Formats: sequence, C-alpha cells, structure tokens
Amino acid sequence: MSFKLFNLLVQASAWTIGISAISIAIGFLLALVLSAALLSGKALYRRPAEFFISFFRGVPLLVQLLLIYNLLPFIGLNVPSIVAAIIGMSLCTAAYQAENLRGGFESVPRGLVEAADMVGFTPRQVFLRIKVPIALRLTFPALVNEAIMILKSSSLVSVVGIVEITRMAQDLASSTYLPIEIFSSAALIYLVICWSVALAGRFGERALPGGAK
Amino acid sequence: MTLPAISVRKLVKRFGQTPVLQDIDLDIPEGKVSCLIGPSGSGKSTLLRCLAFLEEASEGMITVNGEALGFFENARNERERLPAGQIRTVRSQIGMVFQQFNLWPHMTALGNVSEALKTVHKVPKKEAEARAMAQLVKVGLENRAGHYPSQLSGGQQQRVAIARALALSPKIMLFDEPTSALDPELTGEVLTVMRDLAAEGMTMVVVSHEIGFAATIGHQISFLDQGRLILTGAPATVFAKPRHPRLEQFLDTYLDRGASMLA
Amino acid sequence: MIFDPNVILKHLPEIAAGTGVTLALWIAGMLLGVLIGFLVATARRYGGRFIDLPLGLVVEVLRGTPFLIQIFLVYYGGPFIGLSLNPIPCGLLGLSIYASAYYSEIFRAGYAAVPHGHVEAGECLGFSRFQIIRRILLPEMALIVMPPSVNLAVILLKESAVLSIITVPELTTTVSAIGSQEYAFLEAIFLLAVIYWVIVEAAARLGRFAESRFSTYRFSTP
Repeated sequence: MSFKLFNLLVQASAWTIGISAISIAIGFLLALVLSAALLSGKALYRRPAEFFISFFRGVPLLVQLLLIYNLLPFIGLNVPSIVAAIIGMSLCTAAYQAENLRGGFESVPRGLVEAADMVGFTPRQVFLRIKVPIALRLTFPALVNEAIMILKSSSLVSVVGIVEITRMAQDLASSTYLPIEIFSSAALIYLVICWSVALAGRFGERALPGGAK
Repeated sequence: MTLPAISVRKLVKRFGQTPVLQDIDLDIPEGKVSCLIGPSGSGKSTLLRCLAFLEEASEGMITVNGEALGFFENARNERERLPAGQIRTVRSQIGMVFQQFNLWPHMTALGNVSEALKTVHKVPKKEAEARAMAQLVKVGLENRAGHYPSQLSGGQQQRVAIARALALSPKIMLFDEPTSALDPELTGEVLTVMRDLAAEGMTMVVVSHEIGFAATIGHQISFLDQGRLILTGAPATVFAKPRHPRLEQFLDTYLDRGASMLA
Repeated sequence: MIFDPNVILKHLPEIAAGTGVTLALWIAGMLLGVLIGFLVATARRYGGRFIDLPLGLVVEVLRGTPFLIQIFLVYYGGPFIGLSLNPIPCGLLGLSIYASAYYSEIFRAGYAAVPHGHVEAGECLGFSRFQIIRRILLPEMALIVMPPSVNLAVILLKESAVLSIITVPELTTTVSAIGSQEYAFLEAIFLLAVIYWVIVEAAARLGRFAESRFSTYRFSTP
C-alpha cells in the first residue's frame, strides 16, 4: 500500500475530526439546556427533556442519521448531507452529555453549597461560582469519553455519503483490492486520534483548577 | 525441650530495595501465646504475614512443626521454593485472623465459617455446617449464623472471622492486630474469645497494640523496632525495669490503658 | 405521504424475522463477549506481564477504533486471509470480539474492586486459585459489574444496527428494504426507530430489574 493512499486517509480524517468537534460543541450547548430542564423541577420542562433523551439514547445512531437525512428534505429543508450528519450527531451526543451534566450537578457536595450560603452568596452566585465549576470538573472525564465515542461513531456518517475516514477507506478498498491494508490504516488513524484525545483529556483534567498536579 | 511450633531463622524481607525485616531469629513455643509488639512500621505485621506465607520472605527459612514453609534449603545449600501443594499442606496448620476481618460479604456468618470445609476439604454440606455451627457457638454467635457481615457489629464480625479460622482445626492461630479496627467498646468481646482460646492451650501469635493484653496473657513478648527483633522473653523480664531504652521510648509514646498499668 | 398501516401489516412476518435476527445476534454476541471478556480479564490478572501487556494492547485497539471499521476488516479483509464468512457469522464474530474488549475492562475493574484481604482470607484457608475465583471473586464482583454490564448490553443492541451495512438480514436491513420496496423510506425508518426504542427501553428495564433482584446481599465495610 502506497504512501499516497495512506495520505488520502489522513486527509479524510479532517472531516472526521471536524464533524465530531462541531457536533460535540453544539451537543454541549444543547445538553446545558436539557440538563437545566431536567433539574428545573418543573414537569413542563422536565418531561420533554426526558422524552428527547430517552429517544436519542434508545435509537441506534445509524437509524437516527437515516431518519434525519430523509426527514429534512421531507419538511422542505434541502440541506447538504453534511448538515444532516452534524444535526444527527449533535442531537445524539446532546442526550448523552445532558445525562452526564445532570449527574455532575447532582453530585456537587451539599456541604460546599451550604458553606457558600453561610458566607452570604446569593443563589445566582452559588450557581455560577460554586455549582457550575464543580459540576464541570466532575463531568470532565465523562465529556472526554463522550468525545471519543463520537469520534468513533462519526464513522457512521459514511452512510449518508460524507467522505470521512471510513468512507474513504471503503472507496479505496473497493478500488485497490487491498482491504486489509486500507482498513488497518484507517483503524490506526482512528487510534491515534482517540488516544490523542484521551491523553489531552488527562492533561486537561490536571490543568483544571483544583486538579491533581 | 519440645520442638517450637514455628521457628524463624535469618529471615529478611525487602519490599523492592527497602528492607522491612532484617535477620529475624524467633521461636514460637507450642501451646503458648506469643505477642509481637512495636511501633507502626516496625515490621511486626509483615513478620506475621510471612508466617502465614501471605508475604514471601526474601531470605531465610521458616519451619512449622519441623516442616519447611514455602522455601527449603536443598542439597547444595540453595534456597528453593516448594511446590504449591506442599505449601498448602504446611499452611493448613495455620489459621489467620485479619485486622479488617475480611469476611466475605456475599456469605452469611455460617457460610463464611463453613465455606472452606465445603470447598477445600469437600466435607458434605450438612456436616460442614454442623461443624461451623459448633465454632459459632464457641465464639458465642450461634444466634447470628444467618446474618450477613454487613448486619453484624465489628466485634461480631471479628469473632466470626476467628470461628472461620478455627473451623479448619489449625494447630497455630495468627492474629494481625485483631482489635485495631474496632471501636474501643467492642474490643473486649474479641479479647475474651482470644483469652478462652489461650486457656485451651492453642498456640497463638498475636500482633497487637493492646500492650495490657500482651502483658497479661502473653507467655512470650517480642519487641520489634525498625525491622529488627530487639528482644524476646517472658513478659516479666521484658517489661521489668530497667527496660531496654527503645522499649521504654515505645511504651512512653504508645501508652494505652494497659501500658499505663505497667508504668 | 400518508402512513399506511396496511403496509406494515403486510410485511409483519419479515419485520418479525428481522427483529429475531437482531435479538439472536445481540444475545449470542453478548454471551460470547462476556465469556471471552472474563477469560481475557482473568488471563491478564494472573498471566504475568507477557500476557497482560499484549492483551491490554489488543483491548485498547478494539476500544479505540470504530465498530464499523472492525466489521469491514473482518468482512472484506477476511477472504484475503482465508476467512470467508457469510454476513451473519461475520456479524456475530465482529460483535463478540467488540463486546469482549469492553466486557474485559468491566471484569478487570470488578477484580480490582474486591478487597485483597478477602482473597488472602481464602488463601489462608487453603483455597486454590480457581476456588478463590469461583467462590470469592466472582460472586463478590457480580454486584459491581452488573450496572456497567447492563449498560454495555444496551449499547451492543444499538451497535448491532451497524451490521446492516454488511447486509446482515437484521432489523435495520429488513425495514429499510421494505421502505425502498414500498416507496415509503421515511415511514419505514421512523417505524424502525420506534421498534429499536421499544426494545432498548425494555432491555434497559429488564436490566435494572435484574440488578435490583441481584443485590440480595449487602456489602460490609471492606
């Protein structure tokens, strides 16, 4: 297998990384809203959020992608398939990240909140200065995990025609008859990306305020 | 003079490069209570764990009733490891009681005590449970047989752990700080069981912070400091004044109710 | 486009068959994954460094690459090394290997969670290594490995949809084929999503029920 083929796979990884990064970011913002709804205590907000999370955690990502890819044109939105892919992945990761965030907020030790109350913080200050930083700290490892999951899951957007690593590997494998070499190289590229994210996550965790130095 | 129950010769134990026990020579007399005392980190627990073969000594020999434990010296005077089956046979003469009880949480008290009889010695279930029950009676817990460890107090758990060790009829019982993990008001019931056992003539080796217990029921006291055996003897001689300066220092620092009695 | 229930009724036997293939592959893959995963975790624990390190590397590679790539490697690469498999056995092989990597990590954590003193207590009473695993470690870790195992089982059920890409005749393949055939692809995919949702919710509930039934004993302080 030539270097040229390998290089094509590496170039395609830009799509894998790009789609994953954008989806994680959009998913995180959606997850903030969803977790706020879950923790609001009002059924009016909580129920729809629960419904959303249950659906997107209960249906395979592949099926979600096919659904969104076919649904968008049906409701009159003729968008490029890349947009459908990003929407699908963002909604899916939002559901998982929302659960993580909810867990994080619920695990903020009561004593820390009480201590802030006692020194005269307003509820808003308690939320922004105490709960948010601690919850983010607690959920950071889960966020890194989710990023790795999404990087791997992004291989599924190949079915809606995005030429990221997996689709490129498929195309190359069928034209060169070198499936073992091509797919192993693709696997290697995924490994490097996932391990880099895991490594960066570990450094990031230490760099967060209060991390183990 | 009878053969010692356990004899330790030139024992050295290192963790990596760090020596934790150096040149230990010790005889454990049969039918007597031997106590190992000393400050934290003196190596007394490690020595006891070597006697149970939970730690493998780096050098030296241990014999149990004349049989080599774990290692033996072959014809060319080399130290050689014994086969696992042989180790298990020699070890079966020894019962061990841990600081943290180490009861299996998924078995009842009766299950904990009867498990080794059933699994290791293939005693039929009914007989194993009858024998286990007899041991629970002995430690006064027959009415707790069906309880899980989490439903028992610390003192009760430790008594079950003693019954578990006794169920295999060991010739020697090792106790690793059996009361250190207990609330002060619960140590009494465990010490009582141990006292009864001593009165029956069981060979016992006890690592303990309870200097008072050591002084009153111990027949032989061994004082360790910084991995060395400083002195061994009858309590009357070991604790008699003038004391060894390091023992004096230890008793000053680790003064407990019992030790104050000696002062 | 009006949803026509008759279309579904007409294809009910096929949908049922597809669901059957999905469930069968899922359960078989999970059981094999648990078995292999347990053996891997046990070998890594007791086998010394020369077994632990290579196995650990394999596990990390399987966990760091997409399931789809692994499937492609077996399905398209297999014939080049004399392993020509039909889609169903290929899917089962892929799913079990994938599952075993994750299950081995669950069991590794389970082994690590049992206090070492509980093992030492068994050693002092003369238990062999096998007896210690069977009578002490396995039952004690069962409670610990249960929640992540149930979680993983649900993930595997969803991952099995990926097998449609190599034409395994499971639920996704069947229902999307019906969709194309009836010119009602969107409806078919919607139906597919609902079927998965129901199965996944049922599996998750069953798992939680099993967890609660399983915790008949309570852990003491270590």
